[in-house]
This record gives sequence, structure tokens and C-alpha cells, in this order.
Amino acid sequence: MSSGKKLAAAGLVVAGATFYMAYLGASASWQYYLTAEECLADAADLAGSRIRVSGRIATGTLVISPRRDQAEFALEAADRGLKVSCQGTLPDNLAEQIDVVVEGKLETPALVRGDKVLTRCASKYESRHKGETRAGSATVAQRRQETLR
Amino acid sequence: MTVAGQWLLLAALVASGYAAFASVFAWQKEHRGLERTGWAAGLIAALALSAVSGILTWALATRDFDFDYVAHYTSQALTWQYAVSAFWVGQAGSLLLWAWMLAVLALAYRFWPRRENHPLRGPAFGLLMAYVWFLTAVMVFAADPMAPSLARPDEGAGLSPSLQHPAMLLHPPVVFLGYAGWAIPCALAMAALAARRLDVSWIEEARPWMLFSWLVLGLGILWGAQWAYEELGWGGYWAWDPVENGSLIPWLTGTALVHAAMVWQYRGALKKTTCGLAVATFGFCNFATFLTRSGIFSSLHAFSESPIGWMFLVLMAALVVGGAWLVVRRRVTLAPEGPMRSLWSRETAIALAAIALVLLAATATVGTILVPLSGPLVGRRIVLGPEFYNSVLIPTGLVLLLTTAPAPLLRWGKPPTAAGRQWLLRVSAAAVVAGSGAWFAGLRHPIGLAVAALAFMAAGCLAAEIFEHARAIATSKPIASGRRPAGGTIAVGRPSQAVETAWEGRPTRFLAALSSRRRQYAGFLIHVSFVCLALGVTGSSLGSRDYELLMAPGEVVAWGGRSIRFAGIVERELPEVHVVEARLEISRNGEQVCLLAPAQHLHQRGDQWTTEIAIHSTWLEDFYTVFYYGEDDGSARLAFIQNPMVSWLWASGWIAALGSMLRFWPARRRTGSNRPGAGPAAVPHQRRSATTPMCRMGDAR
Repeated sequence: MSSGKKLAAAGLVVAGATFYMAYLGASASWQYYLTAEECLADAADLAGSRIRVSGRIATGTLVISPRRDQAEFALEAADRGLKVSCQGTLPDNLAEQIDVVVEGKLETPALVRGDKVLTRCASKYESRHKGETRAGSATVAQRRQETLR
Repeated sequence: MTVAGQWLLLAALVASGYAAFASVFAWQKEHRGLERTGWAAGLIAALALSAVSGILTWALATRDFDFDYVAHYTSQALTWQYAVSAFWVGQAGSLLLWAWMLAVLALAYRFWPRRENHPLRGPAFGLLMAYVWFLTAVMVFAADPMAPSLARPDEGAGLSPSLQHPAMLLHPPVVFLGYAGWAIPCALAMAALAARRLDVSWIEEARPWMLFSWLVLGLGILWGAQWAYEELGWGGYWAWDPVENGSLIPWLTGTALVHAAMVWQYRGALKKTTCGLAVATFGFCNFATFLTRSGIFSSLHAFSESPIGWMFLVLMAALVVGGAWLVVRRRVTLAPEGPMRSLWSRETAIALAAIALVLLAATATVGTILVPLSGPLVGRRIVLGPEFYNSVLIPTGLVLLLTTAPAPLLRWGKPPTAAGRQWLLRVSAAAVVAGSGAWFAGLRHPIGLAVAALAFMAAGCLAAEIFEHARAIATSKPIASGRRPAGGTIAVGRPSQAVETAWEGRPTRFLAALSSRRRQYAGFLIHVSFVCLALGVTGSSLGSRDYELLMAPGEVVAWGGRSIRFAGIVERELPEVHVVEARLEISRNGEQVCLLAPAQHLHQRGDQWTTEIAIHSTWLEDFYTVFYYGEDDGSARLAFIQNPMVSWLWASGWIAALGSMLRFWPARRRTGSNRPGAGPAAVPHQRRSATTPMCRMGDAR
């Protein structure tokens, strides 16, 4: 066998191993990625599955525990909100009227039991309107100020 | 000022458009006069963009809220450094930065002093100017950094506290500089393909820019990871976020390109791969821009939803389709010049490494675009977790280490010499022993053991190469005439008493060995940086552990080989920031090691809290502490994270920078055929005889 063919064989082995590992990794880690509205629409089908859902926290729904290890809120949807209950470390800038991505399990009736919340890194490429920023985070900030000491 | 800035942008648009047209047209018609007007127009475009950048910088520094951009991203309370850093925070500013950097790099490339003017410089300059025109057009028609405020506000919206970090002063502009740099190899590849000038000289022309862009983009990514590690407070530095992937993919393909280009240069092979990678790498830079600006992903990073992102996607598609079409059209010219002679040669190792790099880049691309693609394909959008990327990183990373480790002892076109083979066997055996030592030291993970052994092998092979080369110099004639042995091969033999005698009183010969192949050793130093990176990633991924607890004032806990005493919570005021910090006294074996103060900061503007972590860093591990909140009784909720070998990760960037600096350091002028730079441009690979060594002194062997 020529050196070129041996190299091709080695390349195929590397590619094969990579694809196999990619398959294993994908099988173990894939999730449906839904908007709050899609989640509500397919709640019956998706009940019990792990999902990642994106949406905007509805005004007047965010409640953060004094220890800041639990949060409950609703993600805005067309007619009714999608309820979310999260446990674990919460992001600093978690506030109403900001976009979040929640990772967790969908329970019935439509409730996402989240274990991870991601917020978009503020003003990386587009600043928010001043009024929204302050009004949104003030509630949370005041709560935290009360609970720090 | 805003009006002046808008006129200057318009001038840059017209000048860059003319420069692109004139440079390409003049090259086609061989019209020297038109070519000169093209260069002049390019200069005008660069000057106009420099002036616009100067205006924006001044407006940011002085908080001139007449500019809509300044009002959106700064406030009076910001320090001037962070106010100026808002230049690259917003969409319009970052586009301006990119366009300005590209225009300056294009001019630097066009007028860089060289012995002879390469025939592809004209068309390549034209293509670069076409890209400057594209970026300027996007600014003029869709994202104007000079737009005036409709009503001048008294105060600006300010900058997010999380972006007020020293790494943010460097990370974004350095990444943009990397993107701009990759445009030059791409333009040269496209010009070479279009002009059918596919000799090795275009590689010689593009190679310094490939290395520059590779280093700069790599450093930019690393500084971004460092920012995430120190600012986001979750104890990690990489989350396989779509935007992170966006910058990593061109760096991976760029790494493959740098190596594939060497195989073309020295062996006349991997030509189609080199051309394809040159186009793809810059294409992926546009893909990264598409990711950050299209709004199609939800990510840790914020995105604006605008048509701008799609313009970059169209450009990327045009580049890839055009590049692929040209490669197919030139496939006969791009055929390899000979068969691969040995499986144990340097080009084989490079080819395997390139396969691994491209596979990793392809995986990251598939994982990133799966979210928008899966919707139309399977009805529901699907997202893949970090396990997907990490599982692919294991085989590809091991192949990369396996091909990097023996590289110093491999030769172009031939198997290693007898001495080289002996060293490979010795070093491999020592690596197995080192791996076993790591096992006895407590390391149990097979991947960790493999990485430790391969890292040892890489260090051993490099040491063996330097030793053999220095020995060859020591046994040669004294350097009286200023000539040094070219050293294309490792001397056959074994260390002897005679050799040791030859070394006595001649320490400068070791330095001579290093300096005679400075560029080659600089390349190997960059390999050392990769090994450090691998050690850092492996150590911090496999050995990380954390502990979260509530501590009362004065309480002591023993964890991770340390004794940690929580002294209490202290509050203090900084300008515009209320600081609440937890004081921790860290000791080992009864001796105090350090004081750490993880904190929560309340930024008065915007009433936003941020978590500020505190780290005690050593070469062995990072002790990372987070303060979540305090209770009424003075106790604090804290998290301790032990991250092994993270410092190696950051050090890898500095080692790569040192290696690149050594590589770029100008060579001393020599006469005749030994003069570096006189070779390949004048003597392309095709003209070298089979018996001529495939290397030049001071360059890669």
C-alpha cells in the first residue's frame, strides 16, 4: 500500500472516530429549542422532555427568593404566559422584560422546571432603552439590597 | 461633527469603490497609470476611515451626545478608557473598526517594502478594497456610526457593567484585527486562482499575513475566554456558545491553512486544500459576523436583529461558491507534484493534523447552525449541548497532540534519520514512563494520562532536536567565516566523549544552534504553546470541582488541601459603585497563603448588581471563589471552585506571541543564495531539483 493510501486510511479512521463520538455526544445532549409560544402549543407532546425555551420575562411576574437561588416568572406568549420555576445560580442581570433562555424539563400543566437560566449579555451589540433597563432591574436590585445583609 | 463624519464616510465609500475597480482593471489591462490612481484612492479611503474613527473616538472620550452612538453606549460616569472602548461595543462602531483596520492592513500590505513587487499585489489590493467598500456601504446605508441624536440627551444610556473589564479593552478589537488579517491570504488566493499564477510565490507572499492573523485571532479568543472566566462568575471560560464558536471556527481552519501552506511550499502538495482553506477561513470570519448580527440565535451574547447579518451571509456564500468554482476550474494546475513518499514524514503529520482541525471546525459549524436548520428540516428546532462538542474534541485533540509531539524529529519527504528514529523511540518510552508516573501521582482519567504522556513526548522531541542540532554544530568546524552548518538533517551518531570535549568552552554553540534555525524553533515554540493549551484545557475540564456552602463569620472549613476562614462581610463605597465583599483568609499547612475578597457590586447607574469573583492562581491550579449573598446574621453564601492548570491556558497565548515575534524578527542580511527571502519568490518549488534540500537556513526544515 502506498504512503498516500495509508494516509487516506488514517484520515478515514480519524474521521470515523470523530463522527462516532459526535453521534454519541449528539444523542446524549440534544434538546428541543422552542419559543415560549411553541412550548405552550406543543405542551402535551413535549411533557416530560428536557427542553430549552427562549422568551421575554413578563412584567410583574418575576419573583426571586431572598437567597437568590430560586426564581419564578412567566415568559411572554400570545395570550397567556409560560410559567417557569428555576432553581440554582441565577444570572446577575435577571430582570423583567429581558430575553432569557431557560434549560429544564417541561411539566404539565405547562410549567418549565428550569435548572439553568441564561440572559443575554447586555448591550453587547445593541443597547436597551434606558427606561426599560432601569425599571426592569430596579425591582430585583432592591430586593437584593435588602437581603445582602 | 456628525455631518463631517458622514461626508468622510461617503468619501471612503467612493474612494474604496474606485480603488477596487481601478486596481483590478489596471491589472487586467496592465495599465500602470490606472494602477497608481487605484493606490491613491485606497490611501484616500484609509485616511477618510481614519478620520471617521478619530471623530468617533473623540466624541466617545468627550461624551458628545450629539452622536446617537455615543448617547447609546456611554455615560458621564464612565472612565475614559471604557468610554472609548464603546467604539467596538455597538454594531455601527464595530463595523467602522473592522473597515478601518482592513483599509490600514490593505495599505500596509500594498506598500510593505519588499525586494520585488509581486504581480498579485495589485489584484489582491483591489479585492481588499472591494471588501472595504462593502463594509463602508453597510455603514452608510444601514448602520451609521456618525448618525446624529434626534434630541440631544443630557445623559447617555451607559455601558453594561459586565463589559467594564480590562479584557474588553482588548478582546473585541483584537478579534476584529484577526478577521481583517485573514482577508489578505483570501484575496491573494482568489487572485492567484483567477490569474492562474499558482506557483509557490503567492504562498510566500501570504504566509506572514497568515501567521499574523492566526496569532492575533488566537489571542483575541483567549482574552475573550479570560474575560468570561473572570467576569461571568460561573467558573468556566468556554461554553460552546454560537458566538464563541463563530470566532473559533476561522481560527481552526486558519491553523490548518498555515500548515497546509507549508506543505505546498516545501513539498508541492495539498494545493487545493490550501486554496480552499484560505477562502474558507475568511468566509468563516464573515459567518461569525453573521452570527452576531443576524439575531437568529439566542446566546449569552446579545444580538441585534437586522438585515446586516444576512448581507455577511450572502458575502460568505459568494466567497465559498466562487472559491470552490475556481479551485475546480484549476484542479489540473493544483494537482500534487509527486506522490507522498513516506508515512513518517512531516507532510503526513501535517495532513493528519489538518484533517483533525477541519473535522473540529466542521463539528462546531454543524452544532452552531443546527438550531436554525433543524426547524425547516425536522419540524422542530434542535440544539446540541456542550457534550457534543467535547466528545469531538477528544479524538481530534488527541490526533493534534499526536502529530504535534514528534514534529521536530520529522523531515520533509523522508522518514526520520536513524538518530531521529532512536530519539523517537527513547522519547516515546520516556512518555510512557511519564504517563505511568502521572498515574501513580493520582491522575486516573485515561484522557488526562494520554495528554500528559503526549505533552511529555512533545517536550522530549523538541529537546532532542535542539540537542542533536547543537551537537552537529559542536562537531563541525569553528565558525570563522561566518558560515554555519545548514543542518537540514539530524547528525547520525551517538553522544561521545569527543563531542562533550567539543562542547567545553563553547556555550555559544548552543545559542548558535538555536539562532541558525530561529524560524524553525520559533514554530516549535508555537507548538509548545499548543501543548500548554492542551494541558490547560484537559486539566481544567477533567479536574474541576466545586463546593457551595453558607459560612458564618469566623468559621473555618478545610477543602481542596486548604483551610479557608471566613472573616466577615465588609461594605465600602467606590465612585458609582457600592461594594459588598466577603473576606476570606486562605492558608495551607498552617501558613496564610493569601486573602481573597469575592464581592457583589451594585452599580449606581442602572441599579445593577454584578458578581465579582476572586482567584488565587498558581501553575498547579486556580482557587476560584464566588460570593452570592449575605444573611442578616453576617453569614455568607459562597462557592469555591478548584480549576487545575488554568494558568497554562493563559500562558499559552504569551508563548505563542513570543514564538511569533521570534518568527517575524527580521533576519540578518546575507549575500547570495543563502539570503532568506531570496529563495522561494525567485525559486519556486517546481524549479527545485530533487537533490536540493527542501529548506533554507533559518527557516522550517
